[in-house]
Amino acid sequence: MNKKLIILIILIVLFIGFPFVLSGFWVRLVTNIFMFAILASALNIISGFAGYAAFGNMVFFGVGAYTVAVLMNKLGLSFISSFIFSGLVSILLALLLGMLLLRLKGHYFALATLGAAEAIKYIIDNLTDLTGGGQGITIPSLHGSPFFVNSVFYFLMFVLLIVIVAFTWWLSKSRLGYALKAIRANEEAAGVMGINTTVYKITAWTLSGLFTGLAGAVYAYWFSYIDPPTVFNVMWVVRMFVIILLGGAGTVFGPLIGAFILESLSELIWSQFLNLHLGILGTIIIITVLLIPNGIVSLLKTDRGLKGIIENIKKSRTGAL
Amino acid sequence: MLLQAIINGILLGAVYGTIGIGFSLVWGVMNIINLAHGSFIMIGAYLSYTFYKAYGIDPFLSIPIVMLILFLIGYVIQRFLLNLVVRGSIFITLTFTFGLQILIANICLLIWKADFRSINLPYSGVSMSLGGVIIPVIRFGVFIIAVILTILFYLFMKRTKVGLAISATAQNYEGARVVGVDVKNIYSITMGVSAALAGVSGALIIPIMSINPFIGGPLIGKAFVISVLGGLGSTVGALAGGLVLALVETIGTTIIPSSFQNLLGFVVLVLVLVFMPQGLFGKRSYNE
Repeated sequence: MNKKLIILIILIVLFIGFPFVLSGFWVRLVTNIFMFAILASALNIISGFAGYAAFGNMVFFGVGAYTVAVLMNKLGLSFISSFIFSGLVSILLALLLGMLLLRLKGHYFALATLGAAEAIKYIIDNLTDLTGGGQGITIPSLHGSPFFVNSVFYFLMFVLLIVIVAFTWWLSKSRLGYALKAIRANEEAAGVMGINTTVYKITAWTLSGLFTGLAGAVYAYWFSYIDPPTVFNVMWVVRMFVIILLGGAGTVFGPLIGAFILESLSELIWSQFLNLHLGILGTIIIITVLLIPNGIVSLLKTDRGLKGIIENIKKSRTGAL
Repeated sequence: MLLQAIINGILLGAVYGTIGIGFSLVWGVMNIINLAHGSFIMIGAYLSYTFYKAYGIDPFLSIPIVMLILFLIGYVIQRFLLNLVVRGSIFITLTFTFGLQILIANICLLIWKADFRSINLPYSGVSMSLGGVIIPVIRFGVFIIAVILTILFYLFMKRTKVGLAISATAQNYEGARVVGVDVKNIYSITMGVSAALAGVSGALIIPIMSINPFIGGPLIGKAFVISVLGGLGSTVGALAGGLVLALVETIGTTIIPSSFQNLLGFVVLVLVLVFMPQGLFGKRSYNE
């Protein structure tokens, strides 16, 4: 336990030092990895812990981003207050959608969240006066040297990541976390045992939506231009799911490991092949699902070297006929 | 004007019906939402396009070849890939089929490039007039073929041994296995039939609208709405769902501005899911 803590502290110190040593490209790359780690950790709360496939989770990302954009562009609010507002809006949206949709299960829930996300995308697309519609909207950008700007967004994402990881760690040991795992294992039994499943599910999705929305808020300020097809793209959620599967669903550090692997692969290797970008991502998805559905960490838990890893791959395969 | 919109809706609805039938077949039998179904439709459309452009084969005549190729693609994908994860959790199958969808989109992008493609048939301008309503011959042909294939599919499911085995597997796959159904093979055939139906849908779409490699996503959106409206029930449900969506779309264009149409479609989807999860016609499980 202590060893893990020491490694964690060393890592945190290393990451604090990063922007002062590395060039802008690398700082932005790591910021991007942080962002996906936050998004995947947030999805992990509802999908990994509670087992609900929230395939429309990008709705919170988009709404968080748009809240910041509209408040800063139209009302001239500061980023900090817009950021807080976007957290509130995300919570409110998650509560409303949760009460409406969390009575559904399985595929029906997945489809309904996707449908709701698309509907909200079109609402924002149609509120042209407020949101700029399909033209998109610009956000007043942060002024300063490139080093300053890069570092600000790096640390914003970093702090958010530390908060959500600490939260997930707490969750994995808390009453709420156990209740969610019970719901994932068998919702009816959990209900019979006296767990108020509705309250717990809505709580989980609200937390998930809050962190996703905050990440979207930082993203909007970071990129200083957003439009509906970009921030409401279903690819966000697909990446989150692949990251969770790669790293390990329902674990604390799985989403971090998965985000690190997928996003550095994406940036460094296949961004070179523009024509094959989607195909390679698709292939990675298929291989991940077939070979490592429980995450890379679970495969490495062996003392028998490569042979043990191969055995783990065979064991971990789920859902074969 | 309204009558014309209704006729257009019915003609288009039969094609939407074939989309819905193929999609809900896999969902109902294997409990998989196949996000790659839109890509199968796209492959069908591209094959039909290529047969026409390269060999001059009329898209209506190449349908059997397109169906055969798509059947094989579906069968192979199920047999060697999807059967390995088919009973996994929702994330697994959803993520997997999405991976398949973007892989296929990329392959189509490499082969057919990003341009919009469509077929302009020599008889595309010909139409019949019936009491003031104009019916283009192509759309009528598309409608007739969609209806014939729906009937054939219905008979296949009700009258053939394979069709009955598919229904049995859908109702209880352990039970089907006990009475000697080769579930792996039946699943693969199911996916093959679904893909073949997707291929037909694609071949029927290409003479009436243009496609590009990124159309898989929007098509799958339509498939969702159709099967949710129709419920997971029967062939008839999917056909009805297709008709409803097509009518809403064609009548909608005359009443609501187009920017609100997409919004309306998804709002209806969510409301039906929440308040009528068995669809408009109330069937619970597949082919009961």
